Amino acid sequence: MKETEAIIERVRRINDAYQHLEISVDSTLTRIKPGQSLMARLHQTWDPYLYAHWWPVGVSENRIIVERPAGERFDPGQIVTLIGLVGQPLLFRRTLRNVMLLAYDTAPTPLLMTVPWLLGNNISVTLVLLGTAVQYATGHLPPQVEIVHGEGEMDWPNQVMTVGWADQVFAVVGRDDESGRFSRLMERFRELRNDVPSNYLFGVFQPVLPCAAGACHACVLPLRTGSALVCTEGPAYDLTQVMLR
Amino acid sequence: MSIEITRAGKMSLEIHTPVMPAAGTFGFGDVYRDVVNIEKIGAIVTAPVTYDQRSPASGPRVVPLDAGILVHTGLPNPGLNKVLKRYRNLWLMLPVPIIVHLVGTTPDQVRKSLARLEGEDSVNAVELGLNDDISVRDAEDLVNAALEKTEKPLLVRLPLYGADHLAEAVADCGASALVVAAPPRGTARDPISGRLVSGRIYGPLIKPISLRMVGQLVRRLESKRIDIPVIGAGGIHSAQDARDYLEAGARAVQVDSVTWVQPKMLEIIARDLGGWTVTREAGALPDEWYPGMGDTERERLRAQQRQDATPPSGD
Repeated sequence: MKETEAIIERVRRINDAYQHLEISVDSTLTRIKPGQSLMARLHQTWDPYLYAHWWPVGVSENRIIVERPAGERFDPGQIVTLIGLVGQPLLFRRTLRNVMLLAYDTAPTPLLMTVPWLLGNNISVTLVLLGTAVQYATGHLPPQVEIVHGEGEMDWPNQVMTVGWADQVFAVVGRDDESGRFSRLMERFRELRNDVPSNYLFGVFQPVLPCAAGACHACVLPLRTGSALVCTEGPAYDLTQVMLR
Repeated sequence: MSIEITRAGKMSLEIHTPVMPAAGTFGFGDVYRDVVNIEKIGAIVTAPVTYDQRSPASGPRVVPLDAGILVHTGLPNPGLNKVLKRYRNLWLMLPVPIIVHLVGTTPDQVRKSLARLEGEDSVNAVELGLNDDISVRDAEDLVNAALEKTEKPLLVRLPLYGADHLAEAVADCGASALVVAAPPRGTARDPISGRLVSGRIYGPLIKPISLRMVGQLVRRLESKRIDIPVIGAGGIHSAQDARDYLEAGARAVQVDSVTWVQPKMLEIIARDLGGWTVTREAGALPDEWYPGMGDTERERLRAQQRQDATPPSGD
């Protein structure tokens, strides 16, 4: 973990709801992998008190692209203090051919950094948007990504086929009740498959992180084998191992 | 510089700078090691530990407030034995004293915990955290239970709103020092879930409240000729905040949530109060002296030294 300063080089509005910030960062941060994130602070004041949790969606030489809501105001040349890298990279299977990314009642932003990496390794990507996530505009995503919009609370076209076809699934859910939503998702997958094997369905958790370093223990996640700190060991956990409500 | 932060005696605790992290803000000494130079802080107070393991609280645990936060973790920890097994070797290697923060649950649990800690060379002192709603009688029982089983220094962390009526009783029982105070409790609505959440409040606004309590307590203890060091805690966000506590009569200070939002601040405060900013060598690099300066100069010098040490190639 390192605390560094970075410069916002470019602000690009990608649609009505989101903008992409291109940020020049310390070279250590460009080692970021899908699943890892950054904590960011724009102003040296105590309000807001906590760092904001920023999820990169792309990385190039000395630059990271993060996705933020369009309602937030950023200017090119603005200095931002970053703490990172937060968390561990997602663990993909070696024999991976098809991946499903699933967003339920939230934007799929934490999952999007995986897209260029997966496509670059000739792995097919399906993005399933459920609940309020169907409102997420996908025009900026690469055309190779198959986009599936949900119908109703937890249904989408060709469900059984897409679930059977995916070698791994990574999901994000609305943060107001992560445990409840992941629990419902787990139940749905159990209905669609005979068995949900281990290392198949992963939940990407997004709790509020006061320290992002493992110091405050506010993000402890109860597991069947004990407990884990989402900020240092997460954010992705095999949902068969998580003690969900 | 050596500061005795407990009552004088054969097992008193001395630290070299009067600044340490508060319980629950610095993990078990295993975090922030890339950011904070641990040699520069006075001691490490660990995350809260209970004799038996504890699960995390369910539901929302963090509520952002204006210039602060409310945190309700449920004090999750794997239990004292697992903590000792996991961190004993690390604590033995660290260059500063280790103070284990023990949650004051029941006298029996406290007795068992202290008996377990008594033989631990890696632990230099114990801080007993008292519940916010504890009565004087229950506080005495817990402190007496702890002192039955240990000769290590016993610091007692008092709740903010009970500190004035608990301090004297705890001191009379034989506690080695008082920590004033634990972050106060409050209730706030979580903007994400819309639920009301109760927990401890952290932020700069806690400082004036806690500072007043420290000043009042120190004066009262002095007037009654009760000699017990007070360690000030609550809302410290700068070196000046820490100095204010020392001016109010605290022997040392504990720094809490600023470590989460400005990780280098703990070391900056410790260096300031530890006298390093005064005794800096004339040739010291800025980043050796002041950790907020970045590591460019030190890294450049190291790279230069590596380059100088590399023998020239044969051709």
